[in-house]
Amino acid sequence: MNLDDLTGTSGEWLRGSGPESDIVMCSRIRLARNLADFPFINRASRGEKAEIEATFKSKIIQPGELELSYLDVNGMSSLNRQFLVERQLISREHQAADWPRGVAIGPRENISIMVNEEDHLRIQVMLSGLSLHDVWDRINRLDDQIEARLDYAFSPQLGYLTACPTNVGTGIRVGVMLHLPGLVETKQIEKVFRALQKINLAVRGLYGEGTQAFGDFYQISNQQTLGKSELELIRNLNDVIPQIITYERQARQALLGEKRNQLLDKVSRAYGQLKTAHQISSEETMLLLSSVRLGINLGLIDDLEIPTVNELFIHTQPAHLQRLQGAELSSDERNIARASYLRTKLGNGRLPETE
Amino acid sequence: MTTCQRCTETATVHVTETVEGRRREIHLCGPCARRAGLIAAEEVPPLPLEGVVQGLILAHVGELVGEVAALTCPDCGLKFMEFRRGGRLGCPRDYEAFSIGLIPILGRTQGATRHVGKRPRRPARGVDRLRLRSLLRRAIAREDYEQAARLRDQLRLEDGDE
Ligand SMILES: [Zn+2]
Ligand SMILES: [Zn+2]
Repeated sequence: MNLDDLTGTSGEWLRGSGPESDIVMCSRIRLARNLADFPFINRASRGEKAEIEATFKSKIIQPGELELSYLDVNGMSSLNRQFLVERQLISREHQAADWPRGVAIGPRENISIMVNEEDHLRIQVMLSGLSLHDVWDRINRLDDQIEARLDYAFSPQLGYLTACPTNVGTGIRVGVMLHLPGLVETKQIEKVFRALQKINLAVRGLYGEGTQAFGDFYQISNQQTLGKSELELIRNLNDVIPQIITYERQARQALLGEKRNQLLDKVSRAYGQLKTAHQISSEETMLLLSSVRLGINLGLIDDLEIPTVNELFIHTQPAHLQRLQGAELSSDERNIARASYLRTKLGNGRLPETE
Repeated sequence: MTTCQRCTETATVHVTETVEGRRREIHLCGPCARRAGLIAAEEVPPLPLEGVVQGLILAHVGELVGEVAALTCPDCGLKFMEFRRGGRLGCPRDYEAFSIGLIPILGRTQGATRHVGKRPRRPARGVDRLRLRSLLRRAIAREDYEQAARLRDQLRLEDGDE
């Protein structure tokens, strides 16, 4: 697999299926793991980082049983690295580093293993919809397969040892990405966040820590990693997410009931702008796509499918756009190319009818 | 938020120490911790009065406070205070080397100090390769290439042993 194979496709986690997929975009779990006999990245020399990468490649990629393809992130252009970030296959930190590192990607992009990020290994599995137990089963098996070939740094008292003590223990981050336009529109989102923070759950934007939520997408994940088992941490999240889904549905119904015309207006304008614009920024596209996605879920738009919209969220971002066009583009050129891409993809759609 | 035990500022330095077999926690703000010798003295040299205070604190809490501040990992060479500044550990051994400073931090930030989740199915190999690597790094640093070659062979040998 190489980047060209990825450009025209999209990850399976975007297919818009799975439980509650009108609100839950995807479920993901990552495990932080380190090799027992190397210093952490913070303290490893460049040579040691190269050795860690070589060890991983020879033991995990070479045998081929795991069906993983390895991409050398260090040798990549910044455009291609950005592409992998937009794709959610590597983090922004991994993209920005300047040492030997790479990412192993599984078939259909459900698996990614970052090598030499903050920890030696960051193993991630993603699936569409709310399916944390399914994700756990897969990542747990994958972790077993890797552990059978590599020695992890592990202490009986403290569990899996990580570069930052905020990950020590299980090393697990359990997260779901939610689309919450109803709670944003009805201004209840802050209240939900405060409640989540009280029970030790973190809320982040689409691209991780410190990033802003855009297009009304939010990631909710555990913060604690020590003193609770993986299944308990998953259960904690699984207990809370249905409540947020219920609030979001109530907010959507309230909007449909009390502000139907405003909602219809917003959705149609968004759809119309996406179909007719001749230059459009990435941020505006996100916001408009968010409204269109809501419109589809509420039955206000019936000639467009959720997977198409999910794909557009990813494919209209700067690096994707440039790879699709096969050329480096300035910001203005990108805005024009983005609009043209959207017009092509949405060309034959009808606008919802007003009442 | 814990308040500094010496003034009214928010405590940012937290240490557990043992004096005569009894454990206790110390919470101090940056300036007070610096005066107590808990974190490296930077900017301003202590005033004469502060020197007196520092002496008093040291008399009360003993050398162990300074000991936490002076903790260094024998393998990667990271100092506990470097960790407090940067937030990242240097190698798996640090959890052991810094445990008297680290465990209280884990207790506060994670609300627990014991892992209860998944465990590797097979025990890690007995021979200490992390130590070998640190010896190798040091041999290279002092340009002792003969020793470095020996250590590298030893590491390779074990790689082949699986
Ligand atoms: Zn103070
Ligand atoms: Zn160390």
